[in-house]
Amino acid sequence: MSDALLANLLSPAVLFFALGLAAALVRSELKFPEPLYSALTIYLLVAIGFKGGVAIAEAGVARVWLPALAAIGLGAFIPLWTYPVLRWGGRLAPVDAAAIAAHYGSVSAVTFLAATNYLAAIGRPYESHAVALLAVMESPAILVGVVLGKRAAGGPPVPLGLVVREALFGRSIFLLLGALLVGALCGPTGMEKVGAFFVTPFQGVLALFLLEMGIVAGRRLEDLRRVGPFLLAFGVVVPVLNAVLGVAVGKAAGLSSGGSMLLGVLAASASYIAAPAAVRLALPEANPTLSLTAALAITFPFNLTLGIPLCDVLARWLHP
Amino acid sequence: MNLHPMKLVTIVCEAYAADAVLRLLAEVGASGHTSFAVEGTGARGRRLADIPEYANTQFEVIVRPELAALLLQRLGAELFPRYAMVAFESDVRVLRADKF
Repeated sequence: MSDALLANLLSPAVLFFALGLAAALVRSELKFPEPLYSALTIYLLVAIGFKGGVAIAEAGVARVWLPALAAIGLGAFIPLWTYPVLRWGGRLAPVDAAAIAAHYGSVSAVTFLAATNYLAAIGRPYESHAVALLAVMESPAILVGVVLGKRAAGGPPVPLGLVVREALFGRSIFLLLGALLVGALCGPTGMEKVGAFFVTPFQGVLALFLLEMGIVAGRRLEDLRRVGPFLLAFGVVVPVLNAVLGVAVGKAAGLSSGGSMLLGVLAASASYIAAPAAVRLALPEANPTLSLTAALAITFPFNLTLGIPLCDVLARWLHP
Repeated sequence: MNLHPMKLVTIVCEAYAADAVLRLLAEVGASGHTSFAVEGTGARGRRLADIPEYANTQFEVIVRPELAALLLQRLGAELFPRYAMVAFESDVRVLRADKF
């Protein structure tokens, strides 16, 4: 465990994230221009999507559908078990419980990227087509969470079409699925043409992006006081439980040790881009500070530093 | 110089509300608008606008007075319960009344 932990903590990605956190904590003026943030996001999503698409072309759809189905089921199940915990364990309002459950069932693409980076760094193979799992796992939890919240809350009628559109075709998921499709159509010959741009600089771009995410997460640390001790504990304990669930489901779906580890990371991660957008539309009564602080200021840093190596250890333990 | 009285309606909202605001502007018949990204603080605390997803948008719309009343009334009834936003009107005078 300590080797895995050290390998992760001393990676450029995690150290740059810590640097960003530090910049926010000392109130440094360091700030990324917004277009750079958008450009880095687009690059990362296209790069990972394209690479995953090429991997699907090589592996064949036959090897992808079962893990993908497992990921969808996992995504839908997580809000179902976390909702009662939040509602009755944390005594949260039904609509807040549903909103947070949706965030935790959905996934964080950056956490996934950091996990693939980690696996590459320690030289452990994984199914490159696992990025398809990232793509399909973003929406189910959002839809389940919204239904849970609506049943409990009532409130003004929801433009359901808008919510479904946001959950299925939000900016990030559209780009990821689109690049996946392009990669699958191009196959390895396409990769030869764009690999120098999308593969080689990838780790550097990810490090730069995590510097920015460190600043974004760090600026929300002062909201921790407002969310209370229950959510602080929830943001750390629930990812661990979901990681165990994800790794086990990954193994059952026939993924390798590396692939199960990635599904564990996906299950452990919480969305702070797609879920907030859809949940704001569908559950306007929910307090966004609660879900966003938990996902972005607690769970994201936890996963990046400790959660990723933990999933690796779990996966190796399950795949002797 | 002949200036015509009009109302300037200013709407400051979370970026998630932008689509709904634009639809409403079209429905009440506003002939145009200006929008830009803003950040600041409000009754519920800081509104960090560090990444586009968490941004805030300010809309400025010049309309005839009766349209301003309708716009504010519908904003209050339809969008205020759903999104973080404030809206207010002010008196302005424009050169070409037929544009609004």
